[in-house]
Amino acid sequence: MKNIDSAKSGFLRRSVSTLLLVPFLLAVLYPFLWMVFGIFKTNHEFFQPLRIWPMKPLNGEYWMKLADTFFPNELSMRNIHELVIGKWVPFWDVLLNSMLSSFGQAIGAVALSAMTGYAFARLKFHWKNIYFVIVLALILVPRQLFAVPLFSWLNTLGLNDSIFGIILPGVITGLGVIYFTQVFRKIPVEYSQVARTCGASEFRVFLTLLSLIWPAILSYGMIHFVLAWHEHLLPMLVLSTESQQTLPIALAKLYDVSQRTPQGVQMAASTFSLIPTALLFALCHRKFKSSLSDMLVH
Amino acid sequence: MSLESNGLGAVEFVGFKNYYALANDERYFKSICNSLIYTLASVVLIVPMSLWLAHLLQSTFRRLRPMLTFGLLLPALTPPSVLATLFLMVFHGREGLLNQLFIIPIGLAPINWLKDPNFILLGLVLQTVWRWTGFMTFFIMAGMEGIPKAYYEAAKLATSSRWDHFIHITLPQLRSVLIFVSIYLLVDGFSLFSGAFILLGGSGGTADAGLLTISYVFQKTRFFEYGSAAAISVSLLPLMLLSLYTIILLRRRYI
Repeated sequence: MKNIDSAKSGFLRRSVSTLLLVPFLLAVLYPFLWMVFGIFKTNHEFFQPLRIWPMKPLNGEYWMKLADTFFPNELSMRNIHELVIGKWVPFWDVLLNSMLSSFGQAIGAVALSAMTGYAFARLKFHWKNIYFVIVLALILVPRQLFAVPLFSWLNTLGLNDSIFGIILPGVITGLGVIYFTQVFRKIPVEYSQVARTCGASEFRVFLTLLSLIWPAILSYGMIHFVLAWHEHLLPMLVLSTESQQTLPIALAKLYDVSQRTPQGVQMAASTFSLIPTALLFALCHRKFKSSLSDMLVH
Repeated sequence: MSLESNGLGAVEFVGFKNYYALANDERYFKSICNSLIYTLASVVLIVPMSLWLAHLLQSTFRRLRPMLTFGLLLPALTPPSVLATLFLMVFHGREGLLNQLFIIPIGLAPINWLKDPNFILLGLVLQTVWRWTGFMTFFIMAGMEGIPKAYYEAAKLATSSRWDHFIHITLPQLRSVLIFVSIYLLVDGFSLFSGAFILLGGSGGTADAGLLTISYVFQKTRFFEYGSAAAISVSLLPLMLLSLYTIILLRRRYI
């Protein structure tokens, strides 16, 4: 009897919490829906304001009018077409650049911070604590503050206006180092001792341990990819040729009022810029969460 | 670099002149002040809210959970510049969503969120809250799932109040997550650039009410005042060191 009772109250509790979540979800998703529908609207349709007040919930005409302003009148592909053929910005170049630089940054950052993390977790060396504090400082100081000195360095290196000028600074990350230090600390020391008695070199031990932590590698790579995808200030300073630029800068250019880009094209570009990161997360967010919960508590 | 003169071409060493100029610059202090308010407000609003949301998500139907979580995560995955354009719609002076849904029904005059100096900063804070709450909820949820079930079963023997469970088990177990989340928000708040850049066009908006530190640095570089820009960056160092010290203390104590 008691069991049935608790099951019932459980169902009630679940329904109530789902209902409580709905307004939040609406608040989050509404602008996105508006963005996606915006792709198919003409400029005139786009700027039709949504008039909710005075509210007449019983009047059918009122709802028709609301729906009419919210949904597009026809599914015209004109805006997508204009974006894809590169009428406003060289879209494919920009997308490719963004992909390359984000992947490059993610892979480089994972490699570099996994090695550093291993060193912090397992090796003994002089001034380890001081180095660790420096890494912490790297997290705290916003990278954008260094934009100007970084820019002049990249100039001296001759990496100005090249995608490597973005990837190289993007590889360095304090967050990644701390993350991997924590991950390597979790692995029992015995594993590496066994590897060492079998005659493996230090680097070989590291590589063997890597196969144990691949969920962590995947999740950090994912976070870094998203961060790199969003980076705005540094690419804006470094990349000057239009076909070399990355997506956020091209977007900013599209949004610029003086360009008179149709609103639909802007919305199409925004939607496309969201798809890669969203897809990445949709595919692996469960793996990501379980590796996070392993790591965060304790 | 912060000790060199402004302008392109030949730079000369000017000593601490850039810093003297900064000490008399009202806009500099204003930008730091704004950044501080903005950052603190976002932490204070987001952390409790995402704790609550994470709790709600934990107690929804198991099947729905991944979908709901993903929906909440979506803003964090969107490039900030895209978010800012979406927010132009929300904050629009008369027809914007905020005015339509909340301000007009109460019977107030519509607020021009992006022009009125009293509301610019509030608008920026609302934007961050909307953007990061879902992501932080995700982190906190991951942390909650890592708490061993046995703790709750043991606690049920002592008291059945869910509030007590929350205070005495969930919160202490989550402290490392919460510290991480707060640090992330602090750092991100101080380095906010893209969102403010698109919403306010790189300036501080009317009467500089929304001028953030990074936007100010950017303004300086736009006019090739590299020396001053570098001086601003260096001048933030003590603040950063202070927060670094706090974090190290926290780590010693709790983690």
